[in-house]
Amino acid sequence: MTRILEIAGLSKSFGALKAVDDISFHVEEGEIVGLIGPNGAGKTTAISLISGAKRPDAGGVVFRGEPVTNLPPHRLVRKGLVRTFQATNVYQSMSVRENVYCGAFPAVYRDFWSAALATPSRRELQHGTWRRTDRILAQLGLAAQADLPASQLPYGGQKTLGVAIALASEPRLMMLDEPAAGLSAEEVDHVAEVIRAVNRDGVSVLVVDHNMRMISALCHRIIVLHHGALLTEGAPQQVTSDPRVIEAYLGKRHEPIGG
Amino acid sequence: MFTVPVLSQIVLNGFVLAAIYTLVALGFTLIFGIMRIINFAHGEFAMLGGFLVFFMLQVANMPFFVALPLASFAVAGGGLVLEALVYRPFYQKELQGMIATIGLSTVIVYSAVLLFGSHQRSIPASFTAIFTIGPVILPADRLAVLTVAAIALAAFYVFITFTRIGLAMRVVAQDLEIAEAQGINARATYRAAFFVATFLAALAGGLLAQLYSLSPFMGTLPLVKSFIVVILGGLGSIPGAAAGGLVLGMFESFVSTFYGLSVAQFASLGAVIVLLVLRPEGLLGRAER
Amino acid sequence: MSEQASVGIRFHVAIRRSKLLRAGAALLVLVGWPLVIRGNYLVYIATLVCLYAIGAMSLHLILRMGQVSLGHAAFMGLGGYTSAVLVTAADLPFVLGLFAGGAVAGMLAGLIGPILLRLKGVYFVLVTFTLGEIVRLVFVEWISVTGGSSGIYQIPAPAPLFLDLTAYYYLALAAAMLVGLFCNRLLSSDIGRAMQAMRESESLAEANGIPILRIKVVMFVVAAVLVGFQGSLEAHFIRYISPLSYDFSESLRFLVMNVIGGLNSLAGPILGALFLVVLPEMLRGWVEIQWVLYGIALILIIRYVPGGLVDFAARILAFLMAPRQVGVS
Repeated sequence: MTRILEIAGLSKSFGALKAVDDISFHVEEGEIVGLIGPNGAGKTTAISLISGAKRPDAGGVVFRGEPVTNLPPHRLVRKGLVRTFQATNVYQSMSVRENVYCGAFPAVYRDFWSAALATPSRRELQHGTWRRTDRILAQLGLAAQADLPASQLPYGGQKTLGVAIALASEPRLMMLDEPAAGLSAEEVDHVAEVIRAVNRDGVSVLVVDHNMRMISALCHRIIVLHHGALLTEGAPQQVTSDPRVIEAYLGKRHEPIGG
Repeated sequence: MFTVPVLSQIVLNGFVLAAIYTLVALGFTLIFGIMRIINFAHGEFAMLGGFLVFFMLQVANMPFFVALPLASFAVAGGGLVLEALVYRPFYQKELQGMIATIGLSTVIVYSAVLLFGSHQRSIPASFTAIFTIGPVILPADRLAVLTVAAIALAAFYVFITFTRIGLAMRVVAQDLEIAEAQGINARATYRAAFFVATFLAALAGGLLAQLYSLSPFMGTLPLVKSFIVVILGGLGSIPGAAAGGLVLGMFESFVSTFYGLSVAQFASLGAVIVLLVLRPEGLLGRAER
Repeated sequence: MSEQASVGIRFHVAIRRSKLLRAGAALLVLVGWPLVIRGNYLVYIATLVCLYAIGAMSLHLILRMGQVSLGHAAFMGLGGYTSAVLVTAADLPFVLGLFAGGAVAGMLAGLIGPILLRLKGVYFVLVTFTLGEIVRLVFVEWISVTGGSSGIYQIPAPAPLFLDLTAYYYLALAAAMLVGLFCNRLLSSDIGRAMQAMRESESLAEANGIPILRIKVVMFVVAAVLVGFQGSLEAHFIRYISPLSYDFSESLRFLVMNVIGGLNSLAGPILGALFLVVLPEMLRGWVEIQWVLYGIALILIIRYVPGGLVDFAARILAFLMAPRQVGVS
């Protein structure tokens, strides 16, 4: 199996705070990898570093065999590396359908002027993209709300929409930042099902979350961060019963996390 | 050229300019640092201060040192009304607030034109004496301006450093959420900050009117200088406003004497662009989150 | 097909047809009225409205990306001065002056755009304001080229034909319509959608693969070129320019047109241009009161109707046309 993502020695400090401290890990193609750790462990920062939203102080990122450190996010999206956000993950003022279409921007953008002047040659491209948008909406169960403004979706719906937007760019690796946060147990199961379905279609996934039930059931492998550094990694059973991980989350208790 | 009389004049003028620029810029940076609004009407409060001083001198025959603080209080008091009406809905909303203050600036300027006419006028000089200490020439009006400004700045320093309201202002400027968590009343702090800022601006306006002339449009200059000073010193930074004011005042005094006013203007504007691009937080400011 | 469905379809066809009819009627009115209503003064004002609409629409492109430029008049000045100097001093034909004006404005925008557009929010506002001041100072100080504060007099009309006010009106109208069609195309395209995304959330747009800086720079240059064209057209219309024609209050005017007219649709700057050119002319003796009213309007609009007059009108229309439920079916 090839490694679709390789992180080596990634570090980032904000003033005196070392948010990410020399972490290295990888994601194999086709894997669903969980990234967990207590609050402040550096998970979101790590995602931002990998996606290009922030520049690392040190270290490198290799995506599909290509070094991509310091590239801006939109270049990485074209290469197939996509992320979602914890908050502001949808465009509130646009309809659900338009939101997903925006996610597909790399597909419709060939060069500036043909995109800007909407030349006839692009019609096919646009139509195809709208069709794909509708397919994604159907796949994720959002087809009924396609024409609603995104602001009218319930919280769970907005999270799902965030995933839909990420899917629209035809990613090879999706990095999801707390997709289950604030959702009911039902909604969490739905999100997990979506992730599994997406993974079956060949998309590798790196998912950050606190919901240990979902992470354990969903992920092939889990990576644990603590204080910005790599604590351990391994199969879900291993990690959730690792005393160091339990201590990091809960203080000294001898129960596997997640109940 | 580098004679003592000339140099001493340049230095004195530099301090005078620095003092006035700092007074205006302090208020401007307070309002941005605490309420996050770019106050385009700030120069207008200076203008109103100048006009009020003029009328007090002209009509009520008050001495300058009485008229000045009185006028400043009056303008600041009136400012509180405007704060409630115009500024309050826009706190923490940068661009919308900016547009609202642009509207307010227009209202104030043209209301002044309607009331006072658009022409320039000079206010009766309260200080005509000129002192000399050896080769150094010290015009009394500049000394008076410097004295008033120094007292005001010192008072402000004491206020912002040692009083509870001053501390509250500094905390709110740093981080609004933490301030409210500490139990600081943000609303009251905003009002206090606005009052102080407007008071300082009106004071500067009265001083400017004494040294130069008065017109409804005179507010543009202090505003532009405020921009430059706070960019130099850092938007929202109080020591930055003082540092920036000193740098700009001295710089302008020296460069305009030896190279002319336009070179000085080009240089300061050019420095602003370079700074904004390389270090938007200014020499002393914090980087934007 | 049910009666309701067929009524629905007929309704839509009728709307389509009525849209074309309305567009045609509007065009007829815009082109034909000077031939019917003879009045040089009105034609003069109408020409100014067309010219200002160009600049206001060009600033609109920048505003739609969520950036506020307070230095837009600088680019208008570059267009105006370049054109005026080339035609008066170098005796070049107007068309060359026009395109050179746009080109010079565009080149400056292209040069500094990539640097300035990395700044966001108030920092961008301040830096564009500073830019406007520097360019204005150049106009004032570079006396050998620009004539300094006295300005440039006796700028010739593009051709003897255009000494006629009505002819110039048609020129300005054609230019404004071309610019309007172009901007509309731009804003309704995928790039326009990307701009809306950028305005709402830059981090999200970036994460969706939208090349933010690239789009900002290109739009900034396009806006500069368009307002440069206005500068040139206006210079050869009024036939006198000076640094005062391109100062901060002019930049402000473009912004005010957009805010009052509406920041969310292209009709906004057009409506704004109409208001801010016509009203001062109509209320000639009341200049100061007008500005006081503009200021108040600005405050009220940005507070209560951020979508401007266009939004306000749309709301009223929606209210008036809301289906009234009489009885229950």
